Order: sequence, then C-alpha cells, then structure tokens
Amino acid sequence: MRYRKILHIDLDAFFCSVEELLNPDLKGVVFAVGGSPDSRGVVSTCSYAARKLGIHSAMPMKTALLKVPGLKIVYGHYKKYQFYSEQVMEILCDTTPLVEQISIDEAFLDVTDMPQKGAAIAAALQKRIRDETALPCSIGIASNKLVAKIATNIAKSSYHGDQTPRAILEVPAGKEAEFLAPLPIKELWGIGKKGVPQFIKMGYTTIGDLAKTPDGILEKQIGQFASTLKKRAAGMDDRPVGNEEDIKSISNETTFGKDIDDEVEIERTLRQLSEKVAYRLRQQGLSGKTIRLKIRWPDFETHTRQLSFPQPTNHDTVIYQSILRLLHEIWKPGMKVRLLGVAVATLTTTLQQLSILDTRYQKEDQLLQAMDDIKKRFGKKMIKRGWDVQDDPE
Amino acid sequence: MKLSVSQPQLAHGLGIVTRAVSPRSTLPVLNNILLATDEGRLRLSATNLELGITKWIGAQIQEEGSITIPARIFSDLIGALPGNTVDLTLNTRTQTLNIHCGTSNFDIKGIDAQEFPPMPVPDLQNGVELNISDFKEMIQQVSFAASTDEARPVLQGVMMEIGNNEITLAATDGFRISVKKTSLSTPVSAPVKVIIPARSLSELARIATNGDETISMVVPEGRGQAIFHLKDAELVSQLIDGKFPDYNAIIPRSFKTNTTITTVEFQKACRQAEIIARESNNVIRMHIQPQEQGPGIVEFSTQSEERGSGEVVLEANIDGPELLIAFNVSYLLNVLDVISTPNTILATNADNTPGLIRPVGDESYLHVIMPMHLG
Repeated sequence: MRYRKILHIDLDAFFCSVEELLNPDLKGVVFAVGGSPDSRGVVSTCSYAARKLGIHSAMPMKTALLKVPGLKIVYGHYKKYQFYSEQVMEILCDTTPLVEQISIDEAFLDVTDMPQKGAAIAAALQKRIRDETALPCSIGIASNKLVAKIATNIAKSSYHGDQTPRAILEVPAGKEAEFLAPLPIKELWGIGKKGVPQFIKMGYTTIGDLAKTPDGILEKQIGQFASTLKKRAAGMDDRPVGNEEDIKSISNETTFGKDIDDEVEIERTLRQLSEKVAYRLRQQGLSGKTIRLKIRWPDFETHTRQLSFPQPTNHDTVIYQSILRLLHEIWKPGMKVRLLGVAVATLTTTLQQLSILDTRYQKEDQLLQAMDDIKKRFGKKMIKRGWDVQDDPE
Repeated sequence: MKLSVSQPQLAHGLGIVTRAVSPRSTLPVLNNILLATDEGRLRLSATNLELGITKWIGAQIQEEGSITIPARIFSDLIGALPGNTVDLTLNTRTQTLNIHCGTSNFDIKGIDAQEFPPMPVPDLQNGVELNISDFKEMIQQVSFAASTDEARPVLQGVMMEIGNNEITLAATDGFRISVKKTSLSTPVSAPVKVIIPARSLSELARIATNGDETISMVVPEGRGQAIFHLKDAELVSQLIDGKFPDYNAIIPRSFKTNTTITTVEFQKACRQAEIIARESNNVIRMHIQPQEQGPGIVEFSTQSEERGSGEVVLEANIDGPELLIAFNVSYLLNVLDVISTPNTILATNADNTPGLIRPVGDESYLHVIMPMHLG
C-alpha cells in the first residue's frame, strides 16, 4: 500500500503575527485582536503571551479584561490579514498544485509526489514562509488530512512559551492509530465541545477508547455516525486534498448590539437577511434547494435548522416563509437571541420548467427582476417592499 | 357457438381489442376478451371499465353463442397459428372453447359471457359525424400535451368542445397547451363539452385506419361516457369529471418577437441539441438575434457538465427585439413533430413568459409552451 504525504499548515496566531508586523512595538506584549469591550466584542485571536494568562479566542472582550486588566486591545486590520493570507497561499501553490485552503490561515497540501521526505518539505516550507512574509507557522505531517490536522493541533498545544510555536510534527505512516490512541477525544473531528462530556460519560476518554470499542456498541449509543467516528478514531481518512466545490451556500447573518426577544424585530431581521441572500443568489445566477436558519442564544449556544424543497428557489418570499417556519420550531416568545443567520445551500444553475397554470411564480419573478434592476442602477436602498416601508422609521 | 374465421383477421382484431384489457384487474372476467356472434360477424370486446374496445370481423357462423376467453392466452395462441382458417367451437356445458387450425387443436377454459360488463349501444341518430383523417390529425396534434400525472386527472384528459359547426380539442399538462380547431361538415344538434382521457383518443387514432370513413361520436345524456362508432369497430370511453383550466385566458395574444423558422431545420437543430440536452434536464437555449441587414439568426445551444456542449445556428426571419430564452427540447420536438407546414412561427415576449408556436399559414392549430428558467 502506498501512503500519501499530507501536510496541514496553520499560521501561528495569525492576526496577532500580522499586527506585530504592522507594529513591531507589540512584540512580547500581552494583547488581543478583537472588538470593543463596551459593545459585544469578542477576542478573535490573542498573542501567545496573552494565552499564557488564560485568554482565548471567542472569549468576550469584557471577560478578557476582567481576567487580565492590562490586556491591550488591537482592532483588527482585516484587509491586511487577507493580503498576507494570499501571500502565504501563493507560496503553498508554488510548492504543489494540490492545495486546499480551509480558512484564512490554514491549508492542506498533498506532497505525495515530491521526492523529499515530509519533514524536510515541511521545514523548507516553514522557512520559506518565514523568509518571504516573516510569518510563523506550524505544520502537521501524516498520511491523511485528519491525522495531519490533529498533528498540527498537538504540536501547537504542546508549546508553552510566549513566542509562537513554529512547530512541526510528523506522524509516521502506519502509526496513525497509535498516535491518536492516547489523545483526549476532544481532539477528534466530529465530537465537538458539547459532545465531549457525553462521550466521557459513556466511558470514552481517549480516542483509543473509541477505536477499540467492539463493533455494534457505539452504534447503539450514537447511531449511524458510529462507523464514521470509529474510522476516524483509527486514523483512517481517504478524502482527497483538493478545492472543494466553488460555492456551497450563500448566507448572511446579523449579530445584535443587544440581545433581542421582540418577535417583530426578529421577523423583520430574518426577512431582510432572506432578501439579501436571495438577491445575492440572483446576481450570481444561482438558486438553491436547502434553506437554513442559524440562531445563537445569549450563552453562545448555536443551532441550525434546515429544510429542503424539490425545486430550487431564489425568491425572497419563498426563503423567508421557510425561515419563519424554521424559526417557530426553535424559538418561543420571550427567548432572547444574539445572532440570526439565513443560508441557502444545495445550489444549482439548472433551469427549471415554469408552469403555465400557476403563474404566481412568474409574477414574483418579474417583480424581483424589476426590483433588482432598480437596485443595480440606483442603489440597494432605492426600492423596498411595502412592508419594509411601514417598518422603517425613515 | 360454432364458427370459422381467418387467422390474420382474428389476430389483427385481437391486437386492437387487447389494448383495453387491464393487466392487473382483480375482476377475472376483465382479463378476458368477449367473443360473440353478432349478425353474421364475430364480435371481439375488451374493457377495463374506463376504456372499452369492440371490433367486428367477418365470420362463417354455424351456431350462435358467446364466451369470454383469457386475453393473453387467446391472443398469444392465435398469433402463433398458421395463416389459415380457424374453427372456434364452444362446449357450453364446460364453457371451454375449442380452437382448431390445420393440425393444431387447443381447448381453452373460459368464463360465462353473462359476467362480462355490457357495452353500451350508441344511438347513432344523435351522433356527431367526424372525418377520420381530420380527427386523427387533431388527436395527434393535441393529445401529447396532456399530462401523465395521475395526481391531476383533469389534465390527463383532452377538452373537446363542439358547437357552431366547429370542433375544438385542447390539452395541457401545466407546462404547455395544444389547441386545434376544425370545422364540421355536418351541423350538430346540441353543443358538446366533455373531457376525454387522452389515452382513449390515442387508442381511437390507432384503430381508425381507413381515412375515407367517418366516425360517429355519441355522448349519451348523463352516462359520463363517449362512444365512437366506426364501420367495424367501436370505442367507449369514460369521461373525466372536473373543471378543465380556462386555457383561452392563458394563451398570450400579443408578442414582442416573432421568429419564423423552416420547420425541418428547426426540428433538426432540436434533434441535434437534444443529444446533449437530455443529459442536463433537457434544457436548450435559443438566442434569437435579429440583424440590421438580411435575415436574423437563432443560435441553439446546449450544455451538460458531464457530457459537453454544442451550438446550432439557423437563419430565421425575426421581427422584434433580441431574446435569450430556454425551453425543454423534448417539448419543442413534440410540437414540431405534428406541424406539417414548411415554416413555423415562434412568438415570444420574455424569457419567463409563455411562447407560442404555430404552423405558418394554418390558423387552426396553436401550441403554447412555457420556457425554462432559473428556479
């Protein structure tokens, strides 16, 4: 059997590293990139010096300041992050065409066909990125994506200094299961923060515990997902490295300045989000079959609900009506909401046969075409539905 | 019952009536064909209670009588016999039919003819006379547009309206409409407005082979049936009860772009495009482009992510602005197959409103077709 050589590369404290490049005085300072503590800002990322003091990303900035009163807050320069990210991705694409970018600061590389050893390629890549962009990164090497990513995480989390880890960790081919076995189950993809206590309760503390459960037992406990999870626990993953489909979904979301529980406002927000998503779909010549609602409660717990249609749509009202149905499955009056999101997925550019007897669809379509046309020529605020005019105090 | 018939005639007659046999009937007698002597001829009848077909063939009758015989066995057997005279003799005591032909001899068990549902006898005095070749053409031009969706029974039918010495057939499956009008040679006494299953009309078109004859159509009051009588055959169809869509209100009356294309060329372009289009939801795009000088052009394009793409360009007379519109290519082919004039007009307004297709120089037929559009 031929093993693949997969690298997982992760830029260390990316936003902070970029901020340090922009402002060298930040070096060694306890600081965090994120929003203001007065409103609802959270920590996007923080320096390793801050991490040592217990600050972590997604922590509300207020909490972070309580914990470390001297914490310096830096407001993010997101355009710069994008710029540096592109520089790094260019270097990666120069190494191999088989690059899969998974976020602004993370990517997989398939270097199976390169003659050098994985560790040597990783070291050369780390140096080149350092030389050309001055950014630190950590790299995990394994025979598949799953193990390579976990290797990066382990390498980074075992670093306790206050610089950046710049770690490289290779899991030798054939030793995947052995490497994973002692690790806590939270490291495994697909379990999630909320899942960890449940798994521990069932008696699975390490990934090895999962891997060695006899067939059938895990199925009884968690259902269909068991076989996937057992494969992962054994370090098996045959997904190729490659560009995922161009666009999988189109979404818009809003975080409220203050948690809201007013039904009218919630519904109006969802209607506006639905209209935005539908407009973007139409502009790109797309329509979708799956409508998804995202809702986040004040304690950050986030839920999604979705439904699918046999026929794809890009109509504001169809999307909004479905979103309302989904909302009322999950939200009851009095519940406070922190964030709302609307997404349309299962996208297609395939044309559908219009009906000659049911012309409501065509009428709506003509109306939307006319509205989109006006929006494009005179700006998005130039035309609104009647219900928005009533709602709008302006 | 004792009679002789010619094997080819019997086989042909069985080929016609067996189309009304329901293959999955729970009533055993409906799996059978009725054989009955009838004024010097042999009558063959089959019915599935929605559609009944009777065919008369010439016979030498020695003894009157009737019996029903399992359709499948009987027609398979007759089809396998040599092309000679077939002698049929019924043993009334055992209800067994003896079939003798040359050196072949078979006995087939039947069911008493009394159990066979009676076929209505039409009162031909009140019939509407229809010319066979005209009526067959009408059926062919219209019935393909009917729906095959059992959830919408009304759309599985063809709307027939007779009045003012004119007969109109119309069908729609919700995506297209076909309408054909023809004048009647003899005036009708009372107007008719019924929905006939498209399947029944297609069977009628199949049976009516002799174009010189006429069909008499009778719709007996309150029976929910229509009877079509030919010289040696009869078809009875249940009517569909329900409200047919007001198709006249849907047919667009004015158009921005009129495109005249040679029918054969139009058909060829669609045939070619269909080979790719059938891989991707049958979508073909027509880019209708008028030109300053000379005739305009229509570019047919098709694309399938897996299979590839293609374009066919045709010259056309275009009156009106440019338009890019997409259609289901099989719908286009269906209608072009029933247009016999050399040129065809496609009249359109927008990429999401119905288009109209009709033969140039023949006002009696029109077809409305809804485009395909990003859903």
